[in-house]
Amino acid sequence: MSTIERFPAAWVLPTLIPVALFTIYPVAEALWTSLHQVMVLMPDQPFVGLENYKTVIFGDYFADALRNSLLFVLFCAPLVVIIGTAVALFLRRPFFGAGIVRSVVLLPWVLPGAISAVLWVWVFHPSFGVLNGLLKSLGLIERSIPWLIDVNLVFVSIVAAHVWTQVPFAVVLVMAALSATNEEAIEAAKIDGANALQRFRFITFPQIKAMIVVLLIYNALTAFTAYDLVYAMTGGGPGTATTLLAFQIWRESFSMYDFGAGSAVAFIVVAISALLILAISKAMPSDLFEEA
Amino acid sequence: MLRTLAGRLGTFAGAMLILLFTGGPVLMSLTGSLVPDRVLFDENKGLLDEGIRFDNYRYIFTGELPDSYQQAGANRAMISQTARQVPFALVNSVQISFSAALLALLLATPAAYMYARVAFRGKKLTFMFLILSPLVPTVALVTPIYMTIEAMGLLGSKLGIIFVHAVKAIPFVVLIISVFFRKLPVELFEAAQLDGCTRMQTFLRIALPVALPSVAATGLFAFMLSYAEFMFSMVLSGDSGSRPISVVMAALARNTDVSWGLLNASIFIAIVPTLILVAMVWRFVVEGMLRGAIKG
Repeated sequence: MSTIERFPAAWVLPTLIPVALFTIYPVAEALWTSLHQVMVLMPDQPFVGLENYKTVIFGDYFADALRNSLLFVLFCAPLVVIIGTAVALFLRRPFFGAGIVRSVVLLPWVLPGAISAVLWVWVFHPSFGVLNGLLKSLGLIERSIPWLIDVNLVFVSIVAAHVWTQVPFAVVLVMAALSATNEEAIEAAKIDGANALQRFRFITFPQIKAMIVVLLIYNALTAFTAYDLVYAMTGGGPGTATTLLAFQIWRESFSMYDFGAGSAVAFIVVAISALLILAISKAMPSDLFEEA
Repeated sequence: MLRTLAGRLGTFAGAMLILLFTGGPVLMSLTGSLVPDRVLFDENKGLLDEGIRFDNYRYIFTGELPDSYQQAGANRAMISQTARQVPFALVNSVQISFSAALLALLLATPAAYMYARVAFRGKKLTFMFLILSPLVPTVALVTPIYMTIEAMGLLGSKLGIIFVHAVKAIPFVVLIISVFFRKLPVELFEAAQLDGCTRMQTFLRIALPVALPSVAATGLFAFMLSYAEFMFSMVLSGDSGSRPISVVMAALARNTDVSWGLLNASIFIAIVPTLILVAMVWRFVVEGMLRGAIKG
């Protein structure tokens, strides 16, 4: 098993060919489009070089959208992984009703983005919202907090909603990773007097580190390419407070009918994502690629 | 004694916090579907002052108008069409998501096994390609994929959506299952090799049965990915015969004429069947793994 074999086409190609068909070909198509002027109802599609990229980068929205997207990733990805890991660790302990809690945790997962958005709009709604209602009846606040109106609070709101949708998957995967960890080592550490934090830091964490890194990558990506939930909640506003880069692609392409500019944004998003991925994959445990 | 009591209280508080965070918004939606809008939005009325009503559910399944609509006397035939699509869309969604998950597992599990256990030429490059592929923003892919599906003659059918959803799930399936295959003890494979098993036999008779709970969990993930997917479902589906639930729900959510109660009833109907499935599969998967199935 230690020798390097030739490419096992029969095993691997059934995955590679369809995935290539749905990524390489569309990306090539988008690259072509981004270098041409492509508008609906315009039969001519002249080559314009980097003109579309210039338009986009020096456009009104780009700097804001890029900053928002990076901030969104910076908040969402670690939060999802931390909350997911904490919940997974908690759900390991046996208690009455644990089965119910384990099932309820999965709830946000089964909801399409548009639905989650509606739910969270009603949680944060400035006048009818459940959160304001709750805080008021607990006597913690007197006046309603303008969650979806204030430029900073609206960001908190979309981060909360996005994290909510992503936590269940993190819980499932961390629990799966935890189930394969060595229980005896934990027991031994307990006997040796290690506290809960030490047991996690030195025994559990190293065993689930690979899964946590994978989750971090996955969540950085979902946050960076998220558009439907945020768009349905805020429409990118107020102003440009929640305008994300991925949403900008859709805006340029489908609401302004400038597919060239839309493809240019798409390309920029792909390039930044690739950088992000490469950076994180450096931190990835090497055994993800090596033979076990 | 005090210590165990504190521990129990901590567990209770933790469980409540998790329930509130994950289940809270959904509970809110259930409440909204049962309590009439006029009570919900009236600060001076208690939540249950007028009792609960199943009007909205009855309407979705039978088409009998809720009392509030008849009182208002408004003609809402357009909305009724959309909300009444929910049960059919649900059936479509389950068919699509189940087929997509199965297809993704079928195509991707052998590859995951290869990436986990065998060193071969081009492994790192192709694995990287698989991992990186989902980061291409969906919005950039929609138009070319639409044209591909059209060329295949699958536009407006469930098959087209199934195919796209399966392919979109493949990278995650490969990534996750390969992590599980990698965890299996080397001795298992050495023993199989000594017994003269071919690679296919080792995969089918040893690796696959041992990793089955993990494979099923990953299939569940693929199912959910497909169930919640919106963009491709929208552009590839045709009439109500192939339209999945996410498309119908998005239409409902953006339709300002739909009452809060009706929207919530639809949301709840969309959740319940999957919740049952999730609860069942979850038990099988997690309990199975906790019993040590993965350690063989």
